[in-house]
Amino acid sequence: MTSLSPLLTLESVSVRFGGLQALRDVSFDVSTGEIVGLIGPNGAGKTTAFNVACGFVRPTSGRVLLPAVGVTNPRATQLARAGVARTLQGVGLFPHATVLENVMAGGHIRPGGGFVGGLLGLPHAQRAERRLRHDAVAMLERLGVASFASSLPGAIPYGVAKKVSVARALMCDPSLLLLDEPASGLDEAELSDFASLIRNLRATMGVLLVEHNMEFVMPLVDRLVVLDFGQVIASGTPAEVRVHEAVIAAYLGVSE
Amino acid sequence: MERIVGSRLSVGLSVTAVVAVIVVVLSSSTRLAVALALGVAVLGVGATFVSLTAVRRDHPVATRALISVIVIDLAIFLTFRVSATSNSNVAIGAAMAIVLLGLSFLTGSSGQISLGNGAFMGVGAFTVGIWAEHHPTTPLVAVLVLATLAGALVGLVLGIPATRLRGPYLAGMTLAFAVAFGAILNMFSSWTGGDSGLQLPTAVVAPHWLASFFGPTASSLTTSSAWLADISIVVTGVALFLMANLFASRIGRAMRLVRDNDVAAELVGVSLPRARVIAFTVSAAYAALGGALWTLINNSVSPSTYSFVLSITILSLVVIGGIGTIPGAIMGGIIYAFSTGAISWLTAHLGLNPQGNVASQLDGIIFGGLLVITILFAPLGIAGLVRHGWRWWRRARPTGIVQ
Repeated sequence: MTSLSPLLTLESVSVRFGGLQALRDVSFDVSTGEIVGLIGPNGAGKTTAFNVACGFVRPTSGRVLLPAVGVTNPRATQLARAGVARTLQGVGLFPHATVLENVMAGGHIRPGGGFVGGLLGLPHAQRAERRLRHDAVAMLERLGVASFASSLPGAIPYGVAKKVSVARALMCDPSLLLLDEPASGLDEAELSDFASLIRNLRATMGVLLVEHNMEFVMPLVDRLVVLDFGQVIASGTPAEVRVHEAVIAAYLGVSE
Repeated sequence: MERIVGSRLSVGLSVTAVVAVIVVVLSSSTRLAVALALGVAVLGVGATFVSLTAVRRDHPVATRALISVIVIDLAIFLTFRVSATSNSNVAIGAAMAIVLLGLSFLTGSSGQISLGNGAFMGVGAFTVGIWAEHHPTTPLVAVLVLATLAGALVGLVLGIPATRLRGPYLAGMTLAFAVAFGAILNMFSSWTGGDSGLQLPTAVVAPHWLASFFGPTASSLTTSSAWLADISIVVTGVALFLMANLFASRIGRAMRLVRDNDVAAELVGVSLPRARVIAFTVSAAYAALGGALWTLINNSVSPSTYSFVLSITILSLVVIGGIGTIPGAIMGGIIYAFSTGAISWLTAHLGLNPQGNVASQLDGIIFGGLLVITILFAPLGIAGLVRHGWRWWRRARPTGIVQ
């Protein structure tokens, strides 16, 4: 793993909200071809760590690096151009746009979306839109949800909406995918479906996910980072973490 | 299903068009008839073209251009048929539709509210007035473009600080501009003519070929009001075409995304400040274009026209027509065109003193009342009602066949 250059690095990141120390000296990285899980008990700082990684929260000290594009402490709007896509908790789709438009929105940063081209309906803007639409349909087909293309997000099953949000994230050709609680709200069959989807993505990108559902996470990830009280208490393969004393203590509340 | 309905519609319209052409050719041979024949023929061909869903999907810009041409063509044909008063109302209403398109884009797409579009209209109106004082021979198109650019510039300057403001704060800032606009005009009274405003040095005159449509007995008032209505309609059609493009473009989609879920919009790479400035600038430019037309139509510009009340009227019309939709904006323009006649009719029939207090406030009272009714009973406006009715009809129909 060390031979691969990381896509995302958190370097001793601390975050303080007023009197609350949300994160203390957190470091980890994610490389191409690996799935990293961020776990921990409620209130451990998982979501904060995730939000720091994607620029929603600025670190009080320490740095977030995207070495491949040379960006330090990226802002949320820079992410798509830096090849980083993230899904939001729940589904985070645009409620008044169709499924197809939602996925097309994922390709917003592609060339051909200028103001003058759009206003005058110039041929190059038209071509770019047709290509974007075509690719969005192809992406929906790839994830097996193309039949919902003209539905509104509120009218489709939750499992499908989750896939649509992944399809939208994949439209910017990311090298790093951040998934916020991908398993929440899915049933047994949808979970295994989703796990194999994420496993397939690993071939071309790195994946970082925040998750509660241990049965989903353990067989899926290559590495785990365990947070408790804002600190990394363990990291390693699922097998290593499972027997780690600090992790058992944090989860079960037993120390001796 | 949709294709069957579409082709039936297009066949029907084409047949109607052909029959209308034959009837007109047989009945008379004036040039007016030629205009009618052309208009209806274009309508029929256009309907055939438009109803093919594949064509509409693959050539959206061509389809929009065609629809705009048909609408312009029909509207211009109507201007040859109606009275001079109706024509000036049509001209005023068409210009208002442009303003409403701009505000609809801002409010409906990006979710921002502007209470200052009356003042942006004033920017365009006074640009024309001031420019005509110094360069009376400038071509009409150039004057309109200039006024639009002036509006865009003022919109841009005000829009940049507005990127940091949202919701009621942005509304407050535009309100301040609308209220201050009169005072700003007064400050530069040597240019703007102070309270009395400006008179155009030369009125817009209809060209000779247009006068020949009406025959030798027509008064110059008839021809010039028809000409002004035609100008207004053509400009509105072009503005409509461009706005439809913008709504459908990636920029337009980005605006709707920001309104729907701004966090998710940022994640796909939409810059929120940029989206807000574009929406604000476009809406100001459209308002200025509408105002510029008003100056041409009225042959003068007066500061009292562009008071704060106008901004409220504009906002009411957008809501009544249907916020965020192009048909809603057109509907608002039509309502405004008719409102002048309706209000003077009411003033006469209620026995109000035309110079009195109540009469001068009557439009505010009526639009305010309509606004309240719309918000209570049809929050999506007339366009929303029509869309609901259409969906209801399509859903209700299959059961009817089964029975």
